[in-house]
Amino acid sequence: MKFSKILERFLQLIPVLLGISLIVFFMIELTPGDPVEIMLGDEISTPEQEASLRHEMGLDQPVHFRYYRFISNALVLEFGQSFYHRRPVIDLITERLPATIELTIVAMFIAIFTAVPLGVIAAIKKNSFIDKIATVGALFGVSMPAFWFGLILIMFFSVQFNLLPVSGRITYDLEVPNKTYLLLIDTLILFRLDSFFDALKHILMPALTLGLAMGAVLMRVTRTSMLEVMSQDYIVFAESKGLKRFRIICWHALKNALIPTVTVAALETGSLLGGNMIVETIFGWPGLGRLVVEAIFDRNYPIIQTAVLLYATTYVLMNFIADVLYTFLNPRVSL
Amino acid sequence: MRKRSIFIITALLTLSISLNTLLADVIRIGYTQDAKNLDPANHRSRITEGIIRNMYDGIMARDSKMNLWPELAESFKQLNDTTYEAKLRKGVKFHDGTEMTAEDVKFTFDRLTKENAMDGQTSPRKSLLGPLMETTIANKYTVRFKLKNAWPVFPRYLPFQEIVSKSFVERVRTDGLATQVNGTGPFKLVEWRKGDSIIMERFEGYYGGATGIPPVGGAKVDRVIFKIIPDSSARVAALLAGQVDLINELPVHAMKRVEKNPNTKVLKTLGTRSFFIILNNTQPPFDNVLVRRAANLSINRKLIIDKLMNGLAVPLNGILSPQSFGFNNNLPELKYDLDQAKELMHQAGYSNGVDVILDSEAQFKDISEALASQLSKVGIRAKVQIGERNTIRADWVPKKEKKRDMYFSSWGSGALDPAGIFVPNLKTNARGNRSGYSNLVVDHSFTKADAEPNQEKRAEHFRQAQDIVAKDLPLLFLWLPQDIYGASKRLKGWEPSGRGIIKLHDAYLQ
Repeated sequence: MKFSKILERFLQLIPVLLGISLIVFFMIELTPGDPVEIMLGDEISTPEQEASLRHEMGLDQPVHFRYYRFISNALVLEFGQSFYHRRPVIDLITERLPATIELTIVAMFIAIFTAVPLGVIAAIKKNSFIDKIATVGALFGVSMPAFWFGLILIMFFSVQFNLLPVSGRITYDLEVPNKTYLLLIDTLILFRLDSFFDALKHILMPALTLGLAMGAVLMRVTRTSMLEVMSQDYIVFAESKGLKRFRIICWHALKNALIPTVTVAALETGSLLGGNMIVETIFGWPGLGRLVVEAIFDRNYPIIQTAVLLYATTYVLMNFIADVLYTFLNPRVSL
Repeated sequence: MRKRSIFIITALLTLSISLNTLLADVIRIGYTQDAKNLDPANHRSRITEGIIRNMYDGIMARDSKMNLWPELAESFKQLNDTTYEAKLRKGVKFHDGTEMTAEDVKFTFDRLTKENAMDGQTSPRKSLLGPLMETTIANKYTVRFKLKNAWPVFPRYLPFQEIVSKSFVERVRTDGLATQVNGTGPFKLVEWRKGDSIIMERFEGYYGGATGIPPVGGAKVDRVIFKIIPDSSARVAALLAGQVDLINELPVHAMKRVEKNPNTKVLKTLGTRSFFIILNNTQPPFDNVLVRRAANLSINRKLIIDKLMNGLAVPLNGILSPQSFGFNNNLPELKYDLDQAKELMHQAGYSNGVDVILDSEAQFKDISEALASQLSKVGIRAKVQIGERNTIRADWVPKKEKKRDMYFSSWGSGALDPAGIFVPNLKTNARGNRSGYSNLVVDHSFTKADAEPNQEKRAEHFRQAQDIVAKDLPLLFLWLPQDIYGASKRLKGWEPSGRGIIKLHDAYLQ
């Protein structure tokens, strides 16, 4: 793979991000709602206090000047201060991001390691009972709203059987080791097994809720792709050579069948990183999604603008990774 | 092999541990939102204050009945129209062991009121101290508050402010104070897991708290944990599962479930948020007082309260809470009277009725539709339009021209003083006056009350203003709901307060 191609793809990021930042910045500015008025809320206030806050928030400047300042600061990774937290945006985001990344990884893990085997089996045993179960399950997975499924899990596993915690990342009386800020990894590295299993219990329901919907999509893609590959001439040839079925499926068919699955998985990961606001809210998961939802309701512009930039960057990067993976899986295709 | 066995045994042991196992003296609260910032001067959020108030005390405090008491002050008195004096308790310690003195109090209030005093930032809580001009030190344990002009409501706003340590803030600066705590409160910060939980432990050196709010002494539990659970269904589930001991904002529809559960109970208190429908007084039909009166008489408040709010609200004939300073007990009752309402509509020239839009938020959809249905019986054909709160408010900006008709709204006032609710909503061009109401006689009463040092005369000014407003009816006055909490039956020593602050100084689990 040529380095120049990779560089070219990275450089393409710049106009994309600029365009997205411009659109989002002005869309937020046009959204009704005054951050100063929202912040002051009820109780008493004075016009002087309002003017002072407006000045501190930079809202007394013209909008084009504010955009210029936002972009020029963003280039040096300076994203300003949250209107409501009154703390640097970069601090708030880096505090919350690991939780979102961890949840996404575990959800992806659940999705891939249930969906791919199920998709393969459903394809091999087409129209069998397993295939039908898998198909109905996939329909259920994509149709069911995350907030409903999440609450059902809570009522069943937390309230009814008291097996899993409703919210949070880890029980309060367990120390939180901070190496990678991914609790499952940190607790394993430090061999704190009680903390590891506690963190696992906390992440299970939110990851299942997120992973199920994605798994449903991946299962369908894998099944369809596998059916197509299994009907190819080279598979028939491999069978006629007398190769074992298991080897044909895993070595010859699966590698090619996974190409679209990998692509979809990479793209879904990009959306998951930005789109798990509902799950984070239901389960009290302290991730970036919840922070952004609150920021939207509060018209907390600095957080919204920075988070959207981050999501856009992530999504574009995941697209790029998907393309790179594709070239590895299918050497006939170049970047 | 041996390592694998150890791993499996440990896993099984861990998994077998019941979720309800916890330290004996820990109270866990399922809370709606995380604190924005742990700096008492650098936020404007009642939710944040609820957390901070467990770690920081103030000059004054309110008990669960909303009575005012000196807290860090031994005594608090008014020296003249514009000067107050607080004599501080001696021997009060911050969490780091240093003593609180007048220097810390002056530092706190200077930080709150002076421009750029917080390392270049101005406190967003500055306006909550009104015309406070200067805080001076009379001696090591006495401070004086000098106001620019008389502001009789000043003591009522003191419970909103908490005292910080001058030496600590000078060391960690405003940035550091956002995430670190050194207060005089009954609990000290152990860890803030952002977005997840705030863990506090008992401060052994606590001075005991306000003597007027017994019991006086240290906190009864070892630890207090605020677990952040934004979703109300999840919060209720956590309570029912025994994973928390107290939750705030218990939804009305979940009350029965909590009451039926053998381990939980419902706690209630009269809130401080008045609900009303804002009527656009600047355009037809609500520029006509007859139509406004007809609207007020068309609502069967008791029916809606009983059927949709489980009976948990008090109907209002004005904007003030019955617990508010200056509340007028003699306001005419806004009785449900369809015949009179129809007659008023006829007199106003709306015999054929009128079509209007009622703006409301999604969480109030049921109530808004019930109200619209009742209004329609007198010819005010209200169509409910649901929107997001801040988007709706953009159409109801005070002092700007408005094209909307009605807006289901509310206003909270934890100070329980008309200055915090009556004036902002009904004074001409005030920051909360979305109805466009303007009555110079009412404004004059407000101005007189604002400067009146005699409390009884001040109350009388507000009562007179309420009498006039009761005739003008610029708003469709509705009710004052109770605040509802869910709690474990084991939780004792705590009663909810109308201000919504959960302070756990005296709470314990039996």
